[in-house]
Amino acid sequence: MQIKQMIMLILSLIFLDVTSFASDLKDKMSFGINTYNDNADVQVYSPTFALYKKLGSQWLLGVKMRIDAVTAASIKNGSDATHVDAVTAASSKESIADDIRYAPTAMLTYDDGDNTLTFGAYYSTEADYIGKAVFVNYVKQLNEQNTAVGIGFSQSFDKWEPVFARELPKDNRDETKIDFSINQLITPEFSMQAVYSYMYSAGFLSSPYHFTLQDNIAKYENYPDTRTGHAFALKGVSLLSKDNAMNFSYRYYMDDWDIKSHTANVEFLHDISHNITSGLRLRYYTQTASNFVKPVGSYTLNDKYYAIDYRMSAFDSYTIGIPFIYRMKGGDKLTASIDYYKTSSNAYLKNWYNVDSLQSVFTTLTYEFDY
Amino acid sequence: MYKILMIVSLIFFSGCSEKLVRVMPYEKEYFAQDKMSLSPVADRAEQEGHVFLIREASAGGESAFQGGCGCR
Repeated sequence: MQIKQMIMLILSLIFLDVTSFASDLKDKMSFGINTYNDNADVQVYSPTFALYKKLGSQWLLGVKMRIDAVTAASIKNGSDATHVDAVTAASSKESIADDIRYAPTAMLTYDDGDNTLTFGAYYSTEADYIGKAVFVNYVKQLNEQNTAVGIGFSQSFDKWEPVFARELPKDNRDETKIDFSINQLITPEFSMQAVYSYMYSAGFLSSPYHFTLQDNIAKYENYPDTRTGHAFALKGVSLLSKDNAMNFSYRYYMDDWDIKSHTANVEFLHDISHNITSGLRLRYYTQTASNFVKPVGSYTLNDKYYAIDYRMSAFDSYTIGIPFIYRMKGGDKLTASIDYYKTSSNAYLKNWYNVDSLQSVFTTLTYEFDY
Repeated sequence: MYKILMIVSLIFFSGCSEKLVRVMPYEKEYFAQDKMSLSPVADRAEQEGHVFLIREASAGGESAFQGGCGCR
């Protein structure tokens, strides 16, 4: 408790206390730790911090910080182990060198009850990659707040800086994303949401590190330098009984690389007591292969595109997880989750990581409170 | 796409929208509960959004921003 009071004192010194009136906006803070571990020797520990401070009755300033500490990763395909893991950008296990990614986000929100407008900027830096992005999101409440219509836009201006000398054909990766969403309350126990996302990427879209040996010549991955994707999602949440609820979602994705996917997610939540909620979630994902990936070992030197990343191939994945919510006195909240993720067997995973399927466990633990 | 947006706009901004007032303010108590959220554990939504983004080739369908990283 003393720590909390000390943090509040520091905050009051940092921010001028602007008197606020009736509003849903709150001064809020959270601390968390997220983890990710998989059987390809990738381990990521991510402390998170978020701070939201009201600036008047209708403005909210938010600052978020995420640090990804990659403690180990390795390439297990018998290739050059001094190369960096293409997925995590961490050095191989042989060199036991950590990579740390810092990812701060700042945002400013205007909310008058019927209109919510958020501007933000994002920056991240890691050993071989710099991410920069701006985003804006607008939500309009309609029909006595039974309907919410939203539009979001984000633009990133990322840059590759490979850790070993390799001149990329392009070093940028720019991504545009536009989202349209509609939320509708159907009954006092049931609501639904529909989302459409348009995504356009341009620049160097493959990994600088993945390569395949063809006729004793190493050929780096090479993908088309643009990609246009569309995602359609339908979600719902329903109260089953006083203590039980279920949320579900379905997403269809398609892009001009001919990757199509279906994602279904269902989660059951139960109030164990008046202040503890837990349950079970299940997720299934399946995707088709891109139109330029070839079976492992079948590329020729005349091929224009090379892909050995399993994500360009067809595979399925399954996720099972447990969420946990504990509401404390005074509005403080502790949330946690643990999920197990597994892909189907895949020749590209075997080739690069020497595993039949990718299996991972990811967790979150967050404590949040109003101040 | 343009026609779809026009139709949706007409529905929500015309008199038809009165039929979309289906829940009165005093009936919204359940939607304030954690278990009635589409993302009941907000940090998990952010974490898994990142995990699925780097482990699968699909994206989108979330009205939330995900920053870029080299892991993609």
